[in-house]
Amino acid sequence: MSEEKPLTRRWLLLAVGAAFNGIVGVALAVPVVGYLLSPIRKKSAYSQWISLGSLSQFPEGQTRLADFVNPFKKPQDGETAKTPCWVRRLSADKFQVFAINCAHLGCPVRWFPQSELFMCPCHGGVYYANGDRASGPPERGLFTYDYKLVSGELHINAGQMPTLADQAKLVTIDGKGKSPCLG
Amino acid sequence: MNVRGFCGSILVLCGIASLGCNAPGKPTAGAEAVRPDEVKNFSKLYSQNCAGCHGADGQHGAALALANPVYQAIVDEGTLRNVIVNGEPGTLMPAFAQSAGGMLTDDQVNALVSGMRSRWYHADAVQGLDVPPFKTDKQGDAAHGQQVFTSHCASCHTTGVQQQNAKASSITDGSYLALISDQSLRAIIIAGRPDIGHPDWRSAQPGHPMSDQDVTDVVAWMASQRQKTPGQPYPSQP
Amino acid sequence: MSRIKRLYNWFEMRLQLEGPVKDAALHPVPRNTASWWYVFGSAATTLLMLQIVTGILLGLVYVASGSEAWKTLDELNHQLYLGWFLRAMHGWGSNFMVAVVLVHMAQVFTFGAYKFPRELTWILGVFMLLMTLGMAFTGQVLRFDQDAYWGLGIGASIMSRVPVIGGALVDLLLGGPIIGGATLSRFFALHVFVIPGTLLLFTAVHIWMVLKLGINDWPMPGRVVRRNTYLQEYHELSHKDGVPFVPDALWKDLFFSAAILAAVAVCAFVFGPYGPGGQPDPTIIQTAPKPDFFFLWLYAVLSYLPPSLETPFVLIAPVIGICILLALPLVAGEGEKSWHRRPVAILVLVTVAVSWGIFTHLATFTPWSPIMDAWSGDPVPPKLIHDASPLVRQGAVVFQAKQCRNCHAVGGSGGMRGPALDTVAVRLTEDQLIRQVLQGGGNMPAYGKNLSPPEVTALVRFLETLKPDGQPPAIDATHQEQKAQNAAPQQ
Repeated sequence: MSEEKPLTRRWLLLAVGAAFNGIVGVALAVPVVGYLLSPIRKKSAYSQWISLGSLSQFPEGQTRLADFVNPFKKPQDGETAKTPCWVRRLSADKFQVFAINCAHLGCPVRWFPQSELFMCPCHGGVYYANGDRASGPPERGLFTYDYKLVSGELHINAGQMPTLADQAKLVTIDGKGKSPCLG
Repeated sequence: MNVRGFCGSILVLCGIASLGCNAPGKPTAGAEAVRPDEVKNFSKLYSQNCAGCHGADGQHGAALALANPVYQAIVDEGTLRNVIVNGEPGTLMPAFAQSAGGMLTDDQVNALVSGMRSRWYHADAVQGLDVPPFKTDKQGDAAHGQQVFTSHCASCHTTGVQQQNAKASSITDGSYLALISDQSLRAIIIAGRPDIGHPDWRSAQPGHPMSDQDVTDVVAWMASQRQKTPGQPYPSQP
Repeated sequence: MSRIKRLYNWFEMRLQLEGPVKDAALHPVPRNTASWWYVFGSAATTLLMLQIVTGILLGLVYVASGSEAWKTLDELNHQLYLGWFLRAMHGWGSNFMVAVVLVHMAQVFTFGAYKFPRELTWILGVFMLLMTLGMAFTGQVLRFDQDAYWGLGIGASIMSRVPVIGGALVDLLLGGPIIGGATLSRFFALHVFVIPGTLLLFTAVHIWMVLKLGINDWPMPGRVVRRNTYLQEYHELSHKDGVPFVPDALWKDLFFSAAILAAVAVCAFVFGPYGPGGQPDPTIIQTAPKPDFFFLWLYAVLSYLPPSLETPFVLIAPVIGICILLALPLVAGEGEKSWHRRPVAILVLVTVAVSWGIFTHLATFTPWSPIMDAWSGDPVPPKLIHDASPLVRQGAVVFQAKQCRNCHAVGGSGGMRGPALDTVAVRLTEDQLIRQVLQGGGNMPAYGKNLSPPEVTALVRFLETLKPDGQPPAIDATHQEQKAQNAAPQQ
């Protein structure tokens, strides 16, 4: 059909007009893609050292629940800015800080000091006291946070919800501070 | 096609408006889940945290009967609170307070203690009776304790280091003694387990209630039967 | 009368809608399509309208902020007149909509209605199903309670399993490093603008095609669809033996739509709104998150997959499933429509429906989840305690205090993660019990490091009492044989 139509001046103007719209549209849309993708950041941009408070709350040989406020908190986060974690104190200066999230699907694991197990309420993932996988669907042990001791306080490097996508980061420890015990 | 539908829903809405607040689906005040650390209701707290071992109504449980009026009469609130907060060392009773790694707040522990007292403590339970105290600092005499055992306990309880089958009722089994503290033994001997037919201090041998010294001595004798490596070795295949 | 007529004409002259509407309403459809089986599509549309209306009404109050959302839901439930009922209508409306859409799809599949020339109608419908499910999931997130919070965690954990770009996808899903205000805002935008807008557009095109291509004729065995003859056949069917769409077919649609709306209202009235559950405070860890009804099957599947299969399944199976649905009319665009001549198709449908039902049923009582309070809350049945020896009773305390009960039921209460232990002494000997406790195995953790020898001894003594009256305990046959052999030489 279009072959029969001669390329008149008006058709040419229409084509140019359409192309002009396209160019302006693309010029506007490309930066918007950047806007949409802006939440994607490097891991390091989403983690920061935060204090869990005085060491005295963590008796040696026990595992206790601690919580911290996310360093990247925004006002609209409300209660969700709070994050709990499990702190296991092995000796005076040796710790393990476990993320609350099960390595299976991120549900909150609970520590049972009597049987020395972490249990997950969702699909029954179970971990030993040192974070190793004991049974159930998780592929690996609990996620751990790096930690350091600063003037009688326990600091952890946190800020992002731990998921399996962090595995690479968790395996290569960047020699900073005390190396976390690998779960 | 939706006009009729909306007419229908309007009719239903009118019906609801006329029925007022009797709708079964209407959420009642406070229907949303209370934060677990703000639950102060004794029945709820007890049935979530205590009923597993101590039984549904404080009796018929695997562990000590809390609804036993004699037990409640000899134990004081401070002791109850301390046991809930920190657990009972030498037994399987765990610590429940957040300060000791448990899940309950101090208020919740207080709610449990006051709930138990108001339900199960009767001031006249042991009135006028010479009941041995809950705690003692006295040293027991194990030899005398064995005599008391023979006269007061042996009609039901047997002795033996390692019991060979589940039915035998040895009270000096190494594993049993390893899982119970002297204080708990003392509490059971004095208060008994009325819910499962275990007599208290006065009725083990009718007419001869046990004295404070008798109880202390029996406990001392049982303690002397404790083993260094109880429960070992496991029975293994030949 | 004449004034109304004049007013009508004034508008009609400017809008010129009478012609197209009359065409659409009076177009002839095959007599046999005026059936109760053909009412689900219009019911789904009605429910979509209901969802839009109730959604807007809720939107007048709801605040999409992590710190406020839960409070506004609470306000709707308790302080605003009929607020609870509108929440309930919206919630139940969503359940009914997913259900009706699925039934509609099953009916279309069974009747072979996706075949030529209605392939695109089906393909569009597949996307509309996905959008309906998307609405259900995002809607659950807007009910910003504990289930929503941890449900997002599950979503993020599934995303994180995507190779290479998993981390970036999680960031995109959450809108930041954690589940928080930014997450809720983007789900709000999806639930209120993006998905409903697209869904409405798709619905319009979907209905347009139904009007243009005609309602699928009732499938008859032997009446085979062929691309070069079907249009002619359908034309004859609808024009020679046809009835006008209005009123012959539409009255059934109207009745069913009204009935569905009434059912939604009754459910809302009787069962009330969904939640909200506890506040979305992550430090409340005494929670057992669970998805809404239509994702329960997925929750079940995720618990039954072996760990090694999980990531591939979660990432690949949905893609394959959607591709199959999209390709169906292109691959099977011709041929028999009747279910009498399509046994494989019907078997597939029944299999999918039954599996879906079973997984959903399982997920309503989550036998794979430990019950976190069972150890301290579920009493040992008194009859097991009453005549037990002190050691056995102590063993029962070990059983409770070491959280065995969280996974193992006794007397009908306790977790179902592991086998119920009411008859364990009939199945396992003392040696086997000790080994199982110490070493675990078969999805049970090893308790060797966590239990002292007296605790194990007491526990096993207790477990040995768990058998029905009159049944002998398990015996170790090799053990007996060994004994006999040892005894033999002495004689």
